[in-house]
Amino acid sequence: MLPQKGQDNIRKLVDSAKLNTVISKLLMTVFIAVFAFAGFFSTTGAINVPGLSKELTMVGTIATFMALVLFLMSFMGIQVSTSFVSSKVVAVLSPLPLSRRDVSNIVFLCFLRIFDIPLLTAAVAPLIAYYFFGGSLLGGPVLFVGVIVTEIFSVTLCIGLAKFFYSKVTSGGGRSRWQTLMRFIFMIFWVIPSFGAYFAVNFATYLIQLYAAFAQTFSSYLYLLVLLYPFSYGFLASYASFPIGVELSTLGLSIVSCLVYSLLAAYSFRWVKNTIREVGAAGAGARLREVVKDTVVSSQAPWLGIIRKDIRLASRSPSYASLLLLPVIQTAVLAVSFSFISVMGLNALLGFLILISSVVLLLPPNLISLEGLAASYTRSLPVRKKTMILSKTLLTSIMYIASLMVLLVVALFFRGDVASVLTFGITNLFSVAAAATSELILLTNKLWRESPAVGNMYAKLSSYIVIAALGLVVVSAPIIGAFTALFFAPHLVFPVFLVLALAEFALTMVFIGSKK
Amino acid sequence: MQEIGVRVSGLVVSYGSFIAVDNVSFTVKAGEIYGLLGPNGAGKTSTLKVIVGLYEPSAGAIEIFNTPISDEVAAKSQIGYVPEEVILLDSLTPREFLEFVVSIRRLDRDAVNSRLERLTSAFELKQYFDTPIAALSMGNKQKVAITAALLHEPRLLVLDEPLIGLDARSSKILKELITFHAKKGGAVIFSTHIMEVAEKLCTRVGIINRGKIVGEGTVAELRMLVKSAEGSLEDIFLKVTEQEAGLQDIIEALEEE
Repeated sequence: MLPQKGQDNIRKLVDSAKLNTVISKLLMTVFIAVFAFAGFFSTTGAINVPGLSKELTMVGTIATFMALVLFLMSFMGIQVSTSFVSSKVVAVLSPLPLSRRDVSNIVFLCFLRIFDIPLLTAAVAPLIAYYFFGGSLLGGPVLFVGVIVTEIFSVTLCIGLAKFFYSKVTSGGGRSRWQTLMRFIFMIFWVIPSFGAYFAVNFATYLIQLYAAFAQTFSSYLYLLVLLYPFSYGFLASYASFPIGVELSTLGLSIVSCLVYSLLAAYSFRWVKNTIREVGAAGAGARLREVVKDTVVSSQAPWLGIIRKDIRLASRSPSYASLLLLPVIQTAVLAVSFSFISVMGLNALLGFLILISSVVLLLPPNLISLEGLAASYTRSLPVRKKTMILSKTLLTSIMYIASLMVLLVVALFFRGDVASVLTFGITNLFSVAAAATSELILLTNKLWRESPAVGNMYAKLSSYIVIAALGLVVVSAPIIGAFTALFFAPHLVFPVFLVLALAEFALTMVFIGSKK
Repeated sequence: MQEIGVRVSGLVVSYGSFIAVDNVSFTVKAGEIYGLLGPNGAGKTSTLKVIVGLYEPSAGAIEIFNTPISDEVAAKSQIGYVPEEVILLDSLTPREFLEFVVSIRRLDRDAVNSRLERLTSAFELKQYFDTPIAALSMGNKQKVAITAALLHEPRLLVLDEPLIGLDARSSKILKELITFHAKKGGAVIFSTHIMEVAEKLCTRVGIINRGKIVGEGTVAELRMLVKSAEGSLEDIFLKVTEQEAGLQDIIEALEEE
């Protein structure tokens, strides 16, 4: 019997989607609030940033906070802007008795709703933290204006990237190498803020230290920073907080810079309001038709056909592209930020492998949700479950190998234990493949049973979390075995790890082999 | 004796407590074009989706050229399907989408390319071949789906409202292709709301209403069923589906406004 999609089912889906949205907003809100308080706590002198006066610490804190807000908001907006600000929304609104301006305003306000709680928190939290830790009366408004300007810039960045780059990714057909390269470049531009957000979250404290190092090394050029966003607001807020001994020339420069950036934000705000309705519509519609030389298609084995299709789909969807590349980026960020590779012991390496594997294992649910995009058609094709499972396992394994390569390069650069990274990393591949296969067995059963509703994984996040947890258990088993051996029989660490990983892999392959 | 292309026996499709298709049985022989007609929500699309393996039936059996639909891959390999609502992989271009379909169906590259050349020329699709599907008009999306359905020269064509969105030329070509496919010994099931098309094209029609087959046969046989010697298929359809009563009053009431 097929599930009946009544009001209750729809309400459940909507409630679940709403809950996931709220959770995601709250997580970001908590992060922003914690960072705002932690940042301003450091300006009270409770945390001493070496080599920096309290005035410069405040500049660094405010600038870092603004960079963080800029990237986090852009990250949030980029994931949804193209699907939300689509030609369909405008197509529904346009025939109604509304002016173009009304349509733009409605779309703009709806777009802002995506960020509502984080936007509010980003504006209010630093202000409360600033006054809570004894900020001056005049510094507060400067800080507030700076954050509002940042929020406008982040929305502008989303819409700007959507208009200039994403539209080129989606509308960019063509099969020549040049066109493929251009699509790839546009896509990179498009997803940069996503990785910027990831970078900002991971390196928030490092950014302050980096700024401190810059301030120490180039103290004579420090006034140049006054001209640069987001430092201008940091300097002005700092001058307002600690007015004694302020040089009038730098104060004047910071006021002028802040005014210029505020005017730019006001202009950006107007531009966004006018442009938002064109995004999406412009991407799909206003494309120049190119000359097609032939209609030749290439045929490959079904498993390779699925992988190629998945990569092509991911290369045109910012959310899938960033998820596909996330393991590699995360490995790079973690490996560099922990830069303890040179002194990394075996237990640290094993912990590191769990971290990489757990991010890699987010891929199978996402790859299956790709199948939901056109399941009402593709499920009529003669695809074997086994082929589907193996192709997606292979793609997941490829992304693990890419992450391992990054780890290896970082280990080589820092002269770490390359041999251990190689032996344990490659052995862990079997475990990752086994875990991915286990997840995919459950997911394909779900796809076959519930198709095509399975596509929207975010509407049924809880069931996907259970599946991801299973993958994590499978991938952790050999590592836990190796940890146990480390305590009781250190010479057996690698054999235990190898045997468990191979056993898991063999078991899943036997299971898959028994399937049709 | 003609081979049976599709055998549907005692098919039941239910969504929870709602029964969309209720004990439907029919056969389509090789060389036949079978039109499945019915008002909106009658159960046509549900029936077709079960035949192509998109939905699992609550009860009943389906065979495609003697292959039970439970033998999923073997059965689906013989079917070419055009869905009612053409939702393809929109961010791919037709070329990329067809490459995916060709790979899944393990088709020979040379054979498929020569067939593709002919189909894209016939449907004037070549110029859009490297344009993302999302940017195509509904009619052109339909052409991509039709091309994908015909590419492997299937024995059974399942077409759910295939003419919607097509221009006159493509519509004519598709109708010719359907006829030619049946002449070559293939079977065709298609649903449509355009009675004139069904009347001209179909060897037999099945009229489905509220999940049940309420009339089946050639147009002549259906005329006998409703005891009308000259009525069009549209008239027969309205009678069989009990939609005729009060229709004239509604039209007059609307015209008075």
